[in-house]
Amino acid sequence: MNRHDLIVIGAGPSGLSAAIEAAHAGMDVVVFDENARPGGQLFKQIHKFFGSKEHHAKVRGFRIGDELLKEADAAGVRVELDSSVLGLYPDREVVVRHGDEVFHAKGDAVLVATGASENTLGFPGWTLPGVIGAGAAQTMMNLHGVRPGDRVLMLGSGNVGLVVGFQLLQAGCEVVGVVDAAPRVGGYGVHAAKLARCGVPFYLSHTIVSAEGSDHVTGVTIGEVDRSWQIVPGTERHFDVDTICVAVGLSPMSQLLDMAGCDMVDDPKRGGLVPVCDESGATSVAGIFASGDVSGIEEASSAMIEGRISGAAIADYLGYLEHEGETRRVGELEGSLDALRQGMFAPKNRGTVPERTEEGCPVSMNLLEHGFLSDDEVLAYPGVTHAKGVHAVIECSQNIPCNPCQDACRKGCISIGKNITSLPVVVGDAACVACGMCVASCPGQAIFLVDEDAGDGFATVTLPYEFLPVPSVGTRGRGLSRSGEEICDAVVESVRCVSAFDHTNLLTMRVPEDCAMRARFFRPAPADADEEAVS
Amino acid sequence: MSDEAVRMTTNGASRSFSPAPLDRSRGLGDFVPAPDEDVLVCRCEEVTKGDIRRAVHDGMYTMTEVRRYLRVGMGLCQGQSCTKLVRRIMAAELGVSPAALDAETSRAPMRPVEMRVLGNEEAAGGADAR
Amino acid sequence: MTDTRTEGVEALGSTADVIVVGAGVIGCATAYNLALRGRSVVVLERDESIGNGGSSRNGGGVRQSGRDARELPLAMYAVEHLWPSLSEELGADVEYVKRGNLRLGKTEHHLEVLRGLAKTGREHGLDMRMLSTDEVRELNPFLSDEVIGASWCPTDGHANPLRTTLAFYRRARELGVRFVTGVDVLGVRTVRGRARQVVTSAGVFEGDEVVLAAGLGTRRLAASVGIDVPMRGLLIEALVTEAEPRMFPQMLGTADADFYGHQTEHGSFVFGGDSGLEESNGYAGGVPTASITAPAICRSIMKYVPRLADAKIVRTWAGWEDECADGVPVISTVDEVPGLTLACAFTGHGFGISPIVGRLVAELCCGEKTTLDVTAFRYDRFRAWA
Repeated sequence: MNRHDLIVIGAGPSGLSAAIEAAHAGMDVVVFDENARPGGQLFKQIHKFFGSKEHHAKVRGFRIGDELLKEADAAGVRVELDSSVLGLYPDREVVVRHGDEVFHAKGDAVLVATGASENTLGFPGWTLPGVIGAGAAQTMMNLHGVRPGDRVLMLGSGNVGLVVGFQLLQAGCEVVGVVDAAPRVGGYGVHAAKLARCGVPFYLSHTIVSAEGSDHVTGVTIGEVDRSWQIVPGTERHFDVDTICVAVGLSPMSQLLDMAGCDMVDDPKRGGLVPVCDESGATSVAGIFASGDVSGIEEASSAMIEGRISGAAIADYLGYLEHEGETRRVGELEGSLDALRQGMFAPKNRGTVPERTEEGCPVSMNLLEHGFLSDDEVLAYPGVTHAKGVHAVIECSQNIPCNPCQDACRKGCISIGKNITSLPVVVGDAACVACGMCVASCPGQAIFLVDEDAGDGFATVTLPYEFLPVPSVGTRGRGLSRSGEEICDAVVESVRCVSAFDHTNLLTMRVPEDCAMRARFFRPAPADADEEAVS
Repeated sequence: MSDEAVRMTTNGASRSFSPAPLDRSRGLGDFVPAPDEDVLVCRCEEVTKGDIRRAVHDGMYTMTEVRRYLRVGMGLCQGQSCTKLVRRIMAAELGVSPAALDAETSRAPMRPVEMRVLGNEEAAGGADAR
Repeated sequence: MTDTRTEGVEALGSTADVIVVGAGVIGCATAYNLALRGRSVVVLERDESIGNGGSSRNGGGVRQSGRDARELPLAMYAVEHLWPSLSEELGADVEYVKRGNLRLGKTEHHLEVLRGLAKTGREHGLDMRMLSTDEVRELNPFLSDEVIGASWCPTDGHANPLRTTLAFYRRARELGVRFVTGVDVLGVRTVRGRARQVVTSAGVFEGDEVVLAAGLGTRRLAASVGIDVPMRGLLIEALVTEAEPRMFPQMLGTADADFYGHQTEHGSFVFGGDSGLEESNGYAGGVPTASITAPAICRSIMKYVPRLADAKIVRTWAGWEDECADGVPVISTVDEVPGLTLACAFTGHGFGISPIVGRLVAELCCGEKTTLDVTAFRYDRFRAWA
């Protein structure tokens, strides 16, 4: 029978990372994946990742995927695609389907890195064509270049719902609203703010009453829910939509581990049925490991580090590492993983809403309930200051593990400090040269360059702009507030698209002076708007 | 219901522990139809929310029993999409936490596979397939 | 409950006319039949779910052909008198289909085996005969050219074992039977020479009668009152396909015993079989399927029914048979331990006779004259070779 040092099931971010780490230790590693392409969900991710440099912060997901594949290739990892693992049997034996055959293989260790599947929600009409998972929508848009619909309602305000909601806008869809039964936005505030300033309303404490249509979705009715999740009569609201995008969480695809007899636990905080395992991913069955979403839903950055930790631990388990080396390597990786698991959205803090940030700033309730910071609230954060001339305004109000802005500024205008969850501080005495690197580097698109007094009663606001077509200089339009309301006339003064920005265009608009701290998005006048297309 | 609630709301209990006793002679009260009875839950086997609620009142107190009673989650997707929904509906009906219900049993094959393919193990595995 | 031995035990325990250990199809059918007789019954089940042992893992055959002569009267009675009206009686569709059993042969040797089975059947009054190649194909046009003949028992059939077990449970519960699941039964204790107390992890349950219908577990429990039933665990495997267009209604088996199965009411095919290496499977504990078994079953099936090659398998599973030393069950009271009734060692063919076994066990418990003679199933029939 085919025999390997390590069999990895799943060539996503976690599985590949583990395979690379094990191959570096000199192991014979094979990775099976049922898909035609490796990389798992990474290649659907067109947004820039959070974190710090070691976590590939400010790099777009698909580029991280490219890097990972190159690294795997260089390390000698064998990736077998279109290879579906049908079962994980005693003695760490897998049965793999490839084409019209099945074959058996055994591993001295087996790492299950099968990821997660999307949850569904059973409302009347949920089986109509036009109700799709957010992941499916992403696949259509970002892998196949197909727009899922024209008018879309997004159900779910977690990061997946927010990120995909924004991508739908980029693809030219109209997003009629983001709906969530929870009373607070579940994902990062900065992701919500991106949608809100484009004019997407948030309906928290709301859920779908029904999807309408006979052979496909033609509309949707939502309603407010009370504390026992029942619809409050009279709060129903109808939208004409052709698509309902469902982003109500993920479930670990842990069936192989369960089948193999690993001790399992149903842990709602980790997304469902997960294996009981230690920090290295070792399960209760000797030689069987798990890493990534299959052992608890997080995101790709932590999945990659988990994979590396598992890879190193497996190499140690099979005697491929000097123990001291392994300890050091795992120590580094665990530090890196720990950094990602800090802040308000850390797994350990799931379900809690702090009243103040680590710095003592009040947490914006507007952001949590409506998706944007109010004009008053925004002033409370250390990234928001008034100054003469062009200066950075960093509307970052939640403690999340992310610090590319600090590295982006060569002039030392931005400081986060050692703790990467700290809110960025705009340093008063440093001189901003308006290079725009901070604006483009912020994965949350929360940094603006503002000149509050550009003369003649006008101000300029430079904002990150990831839509096509990019308006040309002189384009007239409207300035939009943080809530997406048109508040003033605006003219495009400059557009900068340099390769260092990695497709985050910097659009500078001229707005009335009193809108300097209020206008945060530009909407071209209708004639231009018609031409918006897929980003 | 209270004893059951106590024993079943123990969150995150490992499956390897033996289950706590459940006396099934206690009723759940009368079955009260809800307005969304007709909502499809398992689309592979066309099982509605009402079917599941009624099964609980018929004495099907575990995921395993409901699955066998109604075929819910036994279709082509093997419960991939509906298991969580079924769990939530059952838990609400029993007045316990969803995680307290028995976990689904995972069985090969993880993806449906044709007999001619599953039976065709010589070619790929070679003479040492066994 | 003033007995000092029960003091301090957790309060779940209680008293009933009969305590049944095991909520498989036999235990549930027994409880149902006891409830019909007005007895108060408590059923104790170790598993969290009803019917999670062999009752949910068998092929669903309601078969008379090929049975041991001792067991045949039970199967024939059940088919004639109980199965046809069972759905109606229990108020739930058990998906019983009485469209015959074809036992297929591919070689002259196979046909010889089949002739022997048919002869035994006929000798006991069962309508069973041999079919020629043409006759077989007329009944079932999907069979391969390799099939050269078959034995045919038109009154055999199949039912849904999952639903049947749960239907017995549901009806028994409606009739007032108290089911307690997730309770570990530790042993049986006698009081003044009679089996009376069932000691469990959740307290002591007392009954005038105690029925052990706990599959393989019965051996350990019977041992607590000094009785042994020679049986062992044998791992069997089965698989199910997605729903297919309706093809044929007969239950299929083979002279070679390489697979058996049928198309269910729902359209999916359920097949059981083995790899020939079962003796060594299952050493890891639990009920693991073996990686080599389902492929072997598939190859066997395709030799007989090539059309099924494209049918997709959605699930495989394994289960333990309580295989008796002489291949037929123990359905018996115990002379040395009055009050104790055994119903075990069904050796993988208990499902088809479960409706009558439930009645027989209830009759034994209640001291009634049994519907059928059960002396062949006594617990003390086992003798040394010499």
